[in-house]
Amino acid sequence: MDQNPAHGFAGHEPDHAEEKNLVEASPVTELSLSQVLEDVDRFLERLSETKDKSNPPAVPNSVELFLKMAQEKIAYYDSNRFGHSKEEDLSFFECLIRISRLTSFSEFNSNPIMAVPLNRSSNVLHLSMSLLDGEFRTILESRIRNHNQNNSSDSKTPYASKQPSFGSHHQDNSDRGGVQPEAETTIGEEFPAYSKESICNMNKIATAMISLGYERECCMAYNMIRKTAFNSELDKLGFTNTSIEDVQRMQWETLEGEISAWIDVLKHCYSVLLPGELKLCNFVFSEYPSVSQRLFNDLASSITVMFLNFAEAVAMTKQSAEKLFKFLDMYETLRDMIPTIDSTTHSRDLKGETFTAKRLLGEAAVSIFCDLEDSIRRDHSRTPVPSGAVHPLTRYTMNYLKYACEYKNTLEQVFQQHQKMEEGNANAGKCNQPDAEITEGADEDGNPKTSPFSVQLKTIMDLLDENLEMKSKLYRDPALRYVFLMNNGRYILQKIKGSTEINDTMGAKWCRKRSTDLRQYHKGYTRETWSRLLQCLSHEGLQVNGKVVKPVLKERFKMFNSMFDEIHKTQSTWVVSDEQLQSELRVSVSAVVIPAYRSFLGRFQQYFSAGRQTEKYVKYQAEDIENLIEELFDGNSNSLARRRS
Amino acid sequence: MPATDQQASFLGRISIRRNQVISVDGNNDQELEDLELFQKHVADRFADLLSPPEEVASTEPLLSISWLRKLVDVFLCCEAEFKAVLIMCREHSQICKPPLDRLIPELMDRAVKALDICNAVSSGVDSVRQCQKFAEIAVSALEQKPMDDGQVKRARKALNSLLTAMTIDDKENRDFKGAERTRSFGRRGNTNSANKERAVGNFRSLSMIVAKNWSASKQIQAMSSNLVAPRGGEPTGLALPVYIMSSVMVFVMWALVAAMPCQERSGLATHFQIPRQLTWAHSMIGLQEKIGEEWKKKEKKGSVGLLEEMQKMEKLALSLIEFADGFQFPGDTEKMEEVASQVAELAEICGKMEEGLVPLQTQIREVFHRIVRSRAEILEVLEHAAKISQPTT
Repeated sequence: MDQNPAHGFAGHEPDHAEEKNLVEASPVTELSLSQVLEDVDRFLERLSETKDKSNPPAVPNSVELFLKMAQEKIAYYDSNRFGHSKEEDLSFFECLIRISRLTSFSEFNSNPIMAVPLNRSSNVLHLSMSLLDGEFRTILESRIRNHNQNNSSDSKTPYASKQPSFGSHHQDNSDRGGVQPEAETTIGEEFPAYSKESICNMNKIATAMISLGYERECCMAYNMIRKTAFNSELDKLGFTNTSIEDVQRMQWETLEGEISAWIDVLKHCYSVLLPGELKLCNFVFSEYPSVSQRLFNDLASSITVMFLNFAEAVAMTKQSAEKLFKFLDMYETLRDMIPTIDSTTHSRDLKGETFTAKRLLGEAAVSIFCDLEDSIRRDHSRTPVPSGAVHPLTRYTMNYLKYACEYKNTLEQVFQQHQKMEEGNANAGKCNQPDAEITEGADEDGNPKTSPFSVQLKTIMDLLDENLEMKSKLYRDPALRYVFLMNNGRYILQKIKGSTEINDTMGAKWCRKRSTDLRQYHKGYTRETWSRLLQCLSHEGLQVNGKVVKPVLKERFKMFNSMFDEIHKTQSTWVVSDEQLQSELRVSVSAVVIPAYRSFLGRFQQYFSAGRQTEKYVKYQAEDIENLIEELFDGNSNSLARRRS
Repeated sequence: MPATDQQASFLGRISIRRNQVISVDGNNDQELEDLELFQKHVADRFADLLSPPEEVASTEPLLSISWLRKLVDVFLCCEAEFKAVLIMCREHSQICKPPLDRLIPELMDRAVKALDICNAVSSGVDSVRQCQKFAEIAVSALEQKPMDDGQVKRARKALNSLLTAMTIDDKENRDFKGAERTRSFGRRGNTNSANKERAVGNFRSLSMIVAKNWSASKQIQAMSSNLVAPRGGEPTGLALPVYIMSSVMVFVMWALVAAMPCQERSGLATHFQIPRQLTWAHSMIGLQEKIGEEWKKKEKKGSVGLLEEMQKMEKLALSLIEFADGFQFPGDTEKMEEVASQVAELAEICGKMEEGLVPLQTQIREVFHRIVRSRAEILEVLEHAAKISQPTT
């Protein structure tokens, strides 16, 4: 007997060598095979009718002949591939059915007449299964080598084979039903790696192996080879495993690239690769939906876990503001994947693991976002921004918020979850979370509904306000202080209005309040700068007993000129970068100054003699003033230099 | 602002405890007591692992699945207690001062390495489960009565795959791709080597690669290289619990790596040194020696690991293959009885694996998450302490 059955189907070679020519003489063999099969069928019938297991009917010669023929069938596949000849495959399966039925009568084994043929049939069954196992693996692996040779042969091969179906053993099995090869027409396109024919052959082999009790072998082969294939596919896509430690050490620029690749490959996996894998699995194991489901779950789990490992590693990295958006991208990718995991794998473990990874990313995102609060608090710079321009902190915070709010829905979710978790965690220490308790009345009009995220956003806005208020005090010139507040306030308002998401979160009421503040700053500025100038143009004290006092008038003009020059010199270096605000300011200044100056000029210019005196005291015509006002808030240090020279 | 809430509530809880301590006594007694209790518990737990009570020892031999589950439990308990000691510590500011300003980051570094090991070991559990499946094929084939050629051959094939899977050493595991590509599919001729390669390739494909060139033994080495016991006589404060926890962590990871199939483990036996005078460490050292010796014995052969069930499985597989090779239908009765008992034993091992592997994997996952969470919490304490000690205003 074969001394090394582990060699598989090669072990039978000596048995059939001398009869090999019989195999070649196909027509004769076919004819006699069908006769032999009929004979064997009759014998099997008799066996099944025999009640007394110790007294089996006589074993006809056809059984011995049949077993020999079956071995020849196996030998045929030494030099021929499975699927090469439909007739051969058909008759091989015909033999297999009988062998399997014969083996199932093992209760007759106690009788020596039966023992020998039963043992032989068991042997042939194993050889057949080893053959199929090997074929199955070869076909499964063929995609790796013959990637471009698919669909080369008969692409019209029908999937539903007319050949003997081992699945019929399981007609009444509860396993049946459920998944049907509904993918028949599309499997070829969905799975370019295998030809339709290959898939069809795998289906036949898998069905045979499982129905004949070789489910474990079949599943292990499928599982191993598809997993390897999938991994090499991921490899090609550029996804490789990275240790958690390496992820911690990675430069952000590198990690950023890895994250983008992770997102792309994971999405590709869940939109293309895994659905394809599911279809393949469902087709190959069409007779056994639960086997198919199990195999697919196993594959999907082992693949997904690799991705989750990376996500967890990333969530653990040192947090910094610029990471927020990538973290949220990853969070969204996992979030959007969960329904697919749910519907395709029904694996609660996998879903749980995905939730965990998602939660870790979410928590990291919350923590990063809240760090913004700290970075505002920590900004204690003592040097005022020159020219009262928009502070870098304002710019940074608002741009960050604007970008962050593009993820508003996700951030809302993340914060919501975080709060839930916190509440679950810290029922004991409730007094320690004062800020979460602040829920501004959602009833007041213009106030949007509060959420943990909107509370956080408002906190940040309030902190920014406080900080700017503090920074404004660094300006000694109160007018410049107002310009600074206006600039920053305007910038904030514009950014908020430019982002529907923040606007909705902050609410109309908040924006109205901000506009009011801005108007107050504007008024404050006008008062600080221009009220004093306007005093020069006051008529008071100019006339004594109805007569204009010329020296006082001269003094007034001189004062006006020098004050205006001074204001112009200073304030044309100030910056108002928002054009609208700039023009609003100029218009309002003109509206205050020009009419007053014009009337003052109209009333008192006449008291100067034309020529030198007028030239000396009436330095500006109203139009000149108007033009000079147009130069304010330009941030123009040249004008300063020019006027100085 | 939920993130700071977390911080607030977290630190708040500590301060509550701190106040209690102060109100009770106002000195360090409580802390010293906690630390002593921690050491005692560590000692007790490891003593129980080294020499369990008689009735347990037989059902949970060293490095068996149930023993490993206990080991992992011990880790979880020690970890929880350690965190309590560290976080309840009254003087958080000392965290930012020498020697803790170095020791804590080193601990964090070890924690990250331990996470990779957890993943590697978890995938090792998958490999063991794969062996279990091979063994189950053999068991179900050999349980057939009467035994016939077909079933015996089937069992032999499965056992052969099982052994091939077991004897792959870690290095081969890494070079898996090359082997797979050059594999011959010829069915005639050198079928044997082709079959072996096939089995090898298949086995390899199942164990996840942590990362290219990642090595479990190097990680263990790195975790223990800077592990130095605080010198006696010095006021140790938190240095001692940090050292104890690090030792527990390194030991548990080391034992798991030794037991389970794992990526690259050459030189694992050269283990870290724990000073003998520390009472809590006695049993740990004992275990270390026992396992280390086992490892040295098995390392040369190249094995999947020291897992007790795998070792037994390997012996049974060898013996059953021998039986299968000499099997002549219908087989002689005397031999059959012996085989039946071996098959029963193999079945029992499969049963233990079926029962224990999934829970073990779940526990390892728990260790993973625990380490992640603790690391985050400790980093938070660190950050908080740093803020307090270096006010920015």
